[in-house]
Amino acid sequence: MNEIIEKLTTCIEFGKINQKSPFPPSMRGEVGADELTRQALEAGIKPVEILEQGLIPGMNAVGLKFSQGKVFVPEMLMAAKAMSMALVHLKPYFMSGEVKRKGTFIIGTVFGDLHDIGKNLVAMTVEGAGWEVIDLGVDVKTESFLDTLEKYPNCAVGISALLTTTMGNMESVVKLVKEKYPLTKVLVGGAPLNTEFSNKIGADFYSRDPQGAVAYLNNLQNC
Amino acid sequence: MTEWKNSILAHPEKIAVPVMTYPGLQLIGKSVMDMVTIGEVQYHCVKALSAKYPAIGATTLIMDLSVEAEAFGSLINFSENEIPTVSKRLIDSFEQVVNLKIPAIGDGRTKSHLTAARLAADNNTALQVFGGIIGPYSLAGRLYDITEMMTAILIEPEGAHDLLNICTSFLKEYALAFKKAGCNGIVIAEPAAGLLADYQCEEFSSRYVKQIVDFVQDDNFMVVLHNCGNTVSLVESMLGTGAAGFHFGNAVDMCEILPQVPSNRLVFGNLDPAGVIKNGSPEIIKVKTKELLTRTSQYNNFVISSGCDIPPGTKIENIDAFFEAIAEYNKG
Ligand code: B12
Repeated sequence: MNEIIEKLTTCIEFGKINQKSPFPPSMRGEVGADELTRQALEAGIKPVEILEQGLIPGMNAVGLKFSQGKVFVPEMLMAAKAMSMALVHLKPYFMSGEVKRKGTFIIGTVFGDLHDIGKNLVAMTVEGAGWEVIDLGVDVKTESFLDTLEKYPNCAVGISALLTTTMGNMESVVKLVKEKYPLTKVLVGGAPLNTEFSNKIGADFYSRDPQGAVAYLNNLQNC
Repeated sequence: MTEWKNSILAHPEKIAVPVMTYPGLQLIGKSVMDMVTIGEVQYHCVKALSAKYPAIGATTLIMDLSVEAEAFGSLINFSENEIPTVSKRLIDSFEQVVNLKIPAIGDGRTKSHLTAARLAADNNTALQVFGGIIGPYSLAGRLYDITEMMTAILIEPEGAHDLLNICTSFLKEYALAFKKAGCNGIVIAEPAAGLLADYQCEEFSSRYVKQIVDFVQDDNFMVVLHNCGNTVSLVESMLGTGAAGFHFGNAVDMCEILPQVPSNRLVFGNLDPAGVIKNGSPEIIKVKTKELLTRTSQYNNFVISSGCDIPPGTKIENIDAFFEAIAEYNKG
């Protein structure tokens, strides 16, 4: 495989954003995701290859280590930051249609709930997997999900909740989304949830981690 | 404090120290808003709870994770029946740390919490009264944004330390104010450190918590460090703070924690405050309480508690069930 792409994968996995970034210490002074993505484009590597062979494997590798408890939230967020940096350079190709996004994913933390670390990780990972992500933030009211859906009727929706008290709020969001957009797939997640709860409130999919969400979304796209 | 601790260690009979203020609201007919803003209301809540439950081993005052950030100048969202929250970050670069003014004790709502502490201590609502403060890393996260603070420790560690130093300077004084108000100790809530690796927790949380412990802890004033994350691998770092007690959330199995803690330090934990105590039936609460006591019975330094603050709206019959279960367990 191309050397630039291989290096890029490593940068994503280890959260090396750019040459300036002091993290990880073992790669201090070396170029990062920023420079390598530019180099790859300059070398004529197709944006879709950069995404699929460079970024996605990097995110998968760090995601696996996170699920196994080998790295923690800070490292996972660094990987996501490195990936966002790479995506900045790929954005023009998405916009021009040269690289097709796999779809659009709207995500937000349900109203009443302000926890966003998990939601951010899911948003960044799904974006890195080639989806356009619209992050509505925290404490997101049902109307806000519906208004956004009106603009992007074919998208999938992700809702996060970390509080037992706000998990219940998801039910009304799912119900109203499904009433207005019966074909829209709704994914839910957050530490207190499980598949049983997801089924009960009429959501389509529960995942305990971002990787599960990506696998489900990619599958949808293949249908 | 030492006396209280020694009596716990010497008696196999279990006492209970739930982190509990909000359920008192129903007993005195007040709202969350009253509780978080009026010291007297908070005091009347804990007083009503200890009158109803004489078995409470220690009064714990509110675990309010916004009061310190508010004192620094953060904007806070209040609502009648929900716990207040910080609405947005106060600073977005570490260069701004130099502009932060360390709040005076009494600024914002710290005054109301200290009033509650003084009243509870003066009137001996329980054998021991514990104030509550946020931990340094979690406070830094409130001021700088918690997601940003997670990566700042890797890319801008010096800046993160600058902010942590300011936070700790204030928290030391705030902790001391609880001591001066007559409390027997404080619970330091450091939830955000539960998301870190052990060496990160050590450098960016425990080291600063230790400064607070060194500043206020003595034979008459105990520091209890609360961390509700997945702390199994963080225990060693937590122990290094020198705190006399440790309080764990329900993310961990107490049986994986207790063997790691020396028998002369108290360990509090960890019934799920939301899933079990608030949303469970009285029967389930009884089963879970007895189960936890039975599983931990060999540890005299274990004190049964909720894994975190018992949420507003928890039914009184659920609290009844918790105390009944302990009484039944103690009878044998
Ligand atoms: C950090 C934290 C906070 C921070 C939040 C900062 C922020 N911006 O997010 C602060 C200090 C502000 C906070 C406040 C409160 N918190 Co809090 N908090 C936590 C803590 C320590 C970590 C949560 C976290 O970020 N985990 C890390 C991320 C990566 O995990 P995650 O969110 O589960 O996400 C993963 C998966 O679930 C999944 N996922 C998440 N979302 C989605 C969505 C989709 C679609 C999919 C597919 C997957 C998915 O992917 C993620 C990556 O793997 C937990 C305790 C703990 N250790 O879990 C308590 C905890 C969640 N908090 C709790 C409570 C009670 C509160 C407060 C009410 C406390 C108070 N007294 O004020 C307030 C509530 C404020 C509000 N209205 O929201 C309780 C909730 C209990 C319950 N079950 O109801 C917990 C469990 C602590 C406890 N043991 O009691 N908290």
